[in-house]
Amino acid sequence: MKKGYPRFFLLPGLLLLIAIIIFPLLFTIRVTFSSWNVSQSGLNFIGGENWGEMVRDTRYWSSLLRLFYLSFLTVAIQYVLGFAIALFAWKGIAARRFYRVLWLIPMMTTPSLMAIIWRSIFTEDIGALNGLLSRVGLDPVNWLTESGPANIAITVVEVWQWTPFMFLILLAGLLSLPKEPFMAAAIDGASAWKTFARVTFPMMAPISIGAIMIRLIDASKIFDSVFTMTRGGPGNATETPAAYIFQRSLQDFQIAYGSTLALMYLILAILTLTIIGKVFARLSKPRGI
Amino acid sequence: MTLTLKNVSVTTEKDGVILDNISFEFKPGRIYILIGRTTSGKTSLMRAIAGLLPIDSGQITMNGEDFEDKPIWERDVAVVYQQFINYPNKSVLQNVEFPLLRKGLKKSEAREVALASINKVGLGDYLDRKPAQLSGGQQQRVALARSLSRQSHIMLLDEPLMNLDYKLREQLRVEFKEIFNAQKDAVTIYATTEPPEALILGAEILVMHEGRIIQYGSPTEVYEQPQSTTVARVISDPPMSILPVSISAGEIRFGDGYSQPIPAKMKNFKEGHYQVGIRANDIVIAKSGGEKGTISLVEVSGSETLVYVDTPAGEVVLQMEGIHDVKVGESISIELPGNRLFLFETNGALCVSPDSAGE
Amino acid sequence: MYKVLKATFITIWSLFVLFPIMWAITTSFKPESAVVNGATFIPFLEYQPSLIGWKAILPGPDSLTNLLTPTLNSFIVTAGATAISLIFGSLAAYGLSRFTYGWKNYSNADIIFFFVSQRIMPPVVLAIPFFLLLKELKLLDTHLGLILVLTSGLMPIVVWLMVDFFNALPREIDEMAMLEGCNPIQAFFRTILPLSKPGLTVAGMFCVIFGWNDIFFALTLTATKVLTLPVAVIALNGTVTPYWILAASTVFSIIPLVGLAFVIERFLSRGNLGGAVR
Repeated sequence: MKKGYPRFFLLPGLLLLIAIIIFPLLFTIRVTFSSWNVSQSGLNFIGGENWGEMVRDTRYWSSLLRLFYLSFLTVAIQYVLGFAIALFAWKGIAARRFYRVLWLIPMMTTPSLMAIIWRSIFTEDIGALNGLLSRVGLDPVNWLTESGPANIAITVVEVWQWTPFMFLILLAGLLSLPKEPFMAAAIDGASAWKTFARVTFPMMAPISIGAIMIRLIDASKIFDSVFTMTRGGPGNATETPAAYIFQRSLQDFQIAYGSTLALMYLILAILTLTIIGKVFARLSKPRGI
Repeated sequence: MTLTLKNVSVTTEKDGVILDNISFEFKPGRIYILIGRTTSGKTSLMRAIAGLLPIDSGQITMNGEDFEDKPIWERDVAVVYQQFINYPNKSVLQNVEFPLLRKGLKKSEAREVALASINKVGLGDYLDRKPAQLSGGQQQRVALARSLSRQSHIMLLDEPLMNLDYKLREQLRVEFKEIFNAQKDAVTIYATTEPPEALILGAEILVMHEGRIIQYGSPTEVYEQPQSTTVARVISDPPMSILPVSISAGEIRFGDGYSQPIPAKMKNFKEGHYQVGIRANDIVIAKSGGEKGTISLVEVSGSETLVYVDTPAGEVVLQMEGIHDVKVGESISIELPGNRLFLFETNGALCVSPDSAGE
Repeated sequence: MYKVLKATFITIWSLFVLFPIMWAITTSFKPESAVVNGATFIPFLEYQPSLIGWKAILPGPDSLTNLLTPTLNSFIVTAGATAISLIFGSLAAYGLSRFTYGWKNYSNADIIFFFVSQRIMPPVVLAIPFFLLLKELKLLDTHLGLILVLTSGLMPIVVWLMVDFFNALPREIDEMAMLEGCNPIQAFFRTILPLSKPGLTVAGMFCVIFGWNDIFFALTLTATKVLTLPVAVIALNGTVTPYWILAASTVFSIIPLVGLAFVIERFLSRGNLGGAVR
């Protein structure tokens, strides 16, 4: 077929995306070799100073490490819970459609605004959670000013906000599964658990991988909840790279250094996610994606 | 409008050679039956003609005009697939009108032609239904009406009855014959895996195997004179039993076992190894003697019983009229009447075919 | 036993899902005294509901802020970015589903990865360069500027969903259209597009959700003219606004999207989503 037709479809979107993204990307790369900050704006050249500083910046690396476990932990919880409620909403409960709507709602809410609400829940003196705890006779917890509870609070918010996304993708997947394998399992007299382990779960593998990847991509950008609820604190106990970079570049206005951190963050995110994607692809190879 | 293929070859990375140097001239007003196994290249040949499969080498011409530079949408080829492909969002009438309007007919003309075509396939009462609201047979009729109404110069049907039930197939086969014969100057190519279909439609038969056309002729020619064991297998239903034999001292010996006097027609062949083929309905159960074997499978189809027998020489399939009570594992003796045997070289080429059928 | 566990789980999860929303709604109707003196839960019993929070955000004599213009801005920006992403994204997805593209060693899978990888881009990486770029193009604090920037985050979603959706549509349909006289463009618009409503709806819903809820770009790339709803609310937050007003404005700005949950559920239950996310 003539080349024009295939190009007609792909190129407008591809070029538009490249046009939007190319300048920011090139600019970011260039600016990391300058010293653009509050007192000095413009693209001078200072070599690899920013990169050297980054290597020594332990606050940055610990924020990356924190992001790593925070995103894996939250996505894992989202997947398990999302799968569980998707199975319930799939069949076998009354008022299915009611629950389906209800369980989708958190995904529709604006994360940055819900984070404000969550802050008012977790806040220590007048918050809802400590209020409830005191009513059942428990001591209040320093949800936002103590490292451990603060991380739990962030995790709870992320799970609340994004489990519905998993739920939606997995439920849609479950609803599109062919019926025959289940009939075969029923004829063989397989138990509910066996049917799940041998039929449902394997058939859901490709779609699970897709959902987990998309969630990991978005979780790598955790920002709203952290920024609104704890500002990365107490100390830096809940700080993610996005929050740290936000502070360095947009609040302290160290544009060059902030961009260096941001670029490294992007490179690491792409590398990690590509590796994870490849591992998943290999794991599911026998069934084919 | 003559459709000519010259040395057409297609190789793909995934499947290797799928069309192997095909040359053929399709003449207008005739029906050509492509018969062959599932992967023999029938579909690929049709896709190449339609322009859906780019060819690596060779030439396809229509009345001398090269098809290569013509994109699919200018070739004016009508295709009916084995899956019932219609536009799911359009009604029956809109489905049939669509290609006509694309061809530039006026709205009123298109409607008239479409209605005539829909009535011809007997769907006049279903004009406003969506394909999903029709049965499989009806959907295939819509696809057929759509392709027929176009009056294309080339009409390709790729196992159009494949996914239909038995009764409907019988009925449509008969209808096809009339419909195709009415297409006066079109080249009609019809692919099938089923020998009875090929024989009933009774046009010219092209036997395909591994991307090549291995025999071409009238149904009787191909049926009675299969040029090779491959053709014999493809064109016989149930498949012809092919057994290794040796000819020596005026006898024909099956494998290492049973032998019988050599039939008159084979007397002139020199001694040595050959293969014989025999159709299932020509094999009889021996009252005494004959080749001994064990029944490995029994199939009852319609009013016939097919018995698969493992003999020392190889597997033999025999067909018995009526329903018989034979059991898997029983031993049985069969006789292979000499005047019904095909003789092939060990490389598969035909030596002798029996006298024409009809006993 | 299993049944009890299941019912317990469903109940606890539902309460968990509802809790912050109920808390936001009740807080939005609380008077000052019901907030600052410690948590209160049950209206009428623990506090007298008041409209003070809502009066502050709706037009009227007590209005503190105007949320109606930001609402309109959010609609324009979300609709614009969604439309552009759907049009260009689905065209590209159709191409990637039906044709093979090659450029040096790059194949379709790599092109799809390029699209999807744009989602990996953390907004914080792009905020400053986008700021400078839009300033240069005189698009700072305009609808178009924000729409273009959002498109870079939304088009990947469309491509990701629609490639799979088109892959699931039988190729024979477009082939048939071409055999019947359509070139590929006509085949797409006349036969494939009408079949793509479920996929486009789902992709569109995702775009609306992510577009409407974006805060980062709206915060950094707009100032006064194109304030979006979340930014307007966040701005209230920045000026230490009381929780009852924040709660009222939050409830106000999530209402439009919660309606989408019903739309999505209808699609799910009719089985239309199934093919769209495979």
